[in-house]
Amino acid sequence: MKETYGLIATFDTTPRFYSACEKVRDAGYSQWDALTPFPIHGLDAAMGVRRSKVPRFSLAGGITGFVTGMSFIWWASAYEYALVVGGKPYFSPMYAFPVAYELTILFTAFATIIGMFLLNGLPMHYHPVLKAPQFVRATDDRFYIVIEARDPKFDAARTRALLEQSGGKDIAELEE
Amino acid sequence: MSAPAATSPSPTTASLAVKFLVAGVAGLALTALGYFLTGNHQGVALSYLVGIAYWTAVCIGMLLLVLIHHIVDAGWSTVIRRQFEHGLSAFKWLFVLFLPLLISAWLNPGLVWPWMDLTHVLHGGHGTVGSDVLYQKKASFLNLNMFTGMTVGFFVVWVWLSARLRKASFRQDADGDIKWTFMNRTTAAFGIPLTALALSFAAIYWMKSLEYHWFSTMYGVWFFANCIRAGLAFGMMITFWLCARGDYRGIFNTNQLHCLIALAFAFVVFWAYITFSQYFLIWNANVPEETFWYNIREHGDWVWVGMLLLFGHFFVPFLLWLSYRRKSTLGPALGISIWVAFIILVDLCYNILPALKDAHDDPLPFLSLNLLWVLTSVVGVGGVCVWAYLKSFPTARIIPIRDPRIVESLTHHEATAP
Repeated sequence: MKETYGLIATFDTTPRFYSACEKVRDAGYSQWDALTPFPIHGLDAAMGVRRSKVPRFSLAGGITGFVTGMSFIWWASAYEYALVVGGKPYFSPMYAFPVAYELTILFTAFATIIGMFLLNGLPMHYHPVLKAPQFVRATDDRFYIVIEARDPKFDAARTRALLEQSGGKDIAELEE
Repeated sequence: MSAPAATSPSPTTASLAVKFLVAGVAGLALTALGYFLTGNHQGVALSYLVGIAYWTAVCIGMLLLVLIHHIVDAGWSTVIRRQFEHGLSAFKWLFVLFLPLLISAWLNPGLVWPWMDLTHVLHGGHGTVGSDVLYQKKASFLNLNMFTGMTVGFFVVWVWLSARLRKASFRQDADGDIKWTFMNRTTAAFGIPLTALALSFAAIYWMKSLEYHWFSTMYGVWFFANCIRAGLAFGMMITFWLCARGDYRGIFNTNQLHCLIALAFAFVVFWAYITFSQYFLIWNANVPEETFWYNIREHGDWVWVGMLLLFGHFFVPFLLWLSYRRKSTLGPALGISIWVAFIILVDLCYNILPALKDAHDDPLPFLSLNLLWVLTSVVGVGGVCVWAYLKSFPTARIIPIRDPRIVESLTHHEATAP
């Protein structure tokens, strides 16, 4: 017997699905997900999803890029090999700015992409829902809630009852 | 999202409009008193030019935002577009208020723009304007007839485009005909290049030609950046006012606010890009014909005004608006917008007021009595502009209720929850 991954419930209509998400959110679950064939406006709020932490990676990358650009130019042209060019000072933030600015953008882009992949866990080649036969309609016209067994509030009987009350159908256990 | 419940403004705006008109007339009267009683004709006239340029920038910004809205067939901005259309009603009054400067140019040439007076003696034994080869080469562009004709032309363009945009938008409220949307799109297609040319030439004639030896290819687009930022800043103030009054209840949501401020944030960066590029190219090339303009602005307390612009016009709003919360909550968005509106005024002072010179041809200090005349001018011209907005406000519904994009705008959703 394989370990239980969680419970899956199927929903027919968006409004019912939306309010079911709110019920699961209000019941205090944290390890669960909503799976839909298309984006549903406002679902993030209904699920209680907080804003992504990716911007923090972006900010760190941007600051790193700016400091790298400024300090590298200072090091190269005012410290390691001081050279007068065009009668200008050895170092000025003026001429270092375009490079620092470009590196800010470059490092921000890198940090954003890397941060996104670190946080979303992609690429993911396998997921337990793929074994559920009813899940084929996830790309068509059905909506699913999956509550994971590792959620501290998970209890096979009570969680199933919550999903039933919320209007879920074909409630089934998912294998790991 | 509920259907638009508010169709016409609830409390009357008539008394508020009168208050602004009184403030405006008082400001204009004080400016006129300053001109006639203090003998500081040039200082008062240049301060008045700051006031005119400031409010013209606000209105051009609103005009451009409406035009851009139509040309890209935008969705989310439909709810706030109506307020910009009300703002456009101030253009004709701005022309009326510009007339004193135009009349002074004919009666007393050289008072504001030194190149208008060919007998004006250049500092350092360089002869007069008329004998200056750098003026002679530009004389076909910099002459009183061209200045007058072009200035009238700018206002004709702005007033005419505004009238077309307002007519089509207001008529659509009544009949819901899609043809008004198409008419506005056509207006936008030819209106954007016309407005761009008019605002660039206005910046060159009104402000850049104060130092007619100087040249910068960035000047028109620098003014453009300030115009858009001013339009968005005042758009935010209007938004806050309408939310506080309750007109926007059930209409304006977090996602529209986030989009509005994200646009303002983008133009913080755009302004910095343009302004830095102008400075950097001149610094790097190091040609005396260009660097003198910044040398003047490093004299006395002007260097601190430059620093205030660097940090106040770019770094402060940039760093504050990086945060999602300050883009999507009314209070911080309003506070930063008010600051931006103020610093744009400082930017215009930085570009205009150093044209006032002492006996050594050095600029008069920034901190001087002239700031009082800047204040009276800004209040004077601004009072009239806000009065024009408030007078137009009750003549149309709070949002364009029959715009084909209004439902999309009302239910505008940004991908992530707040």
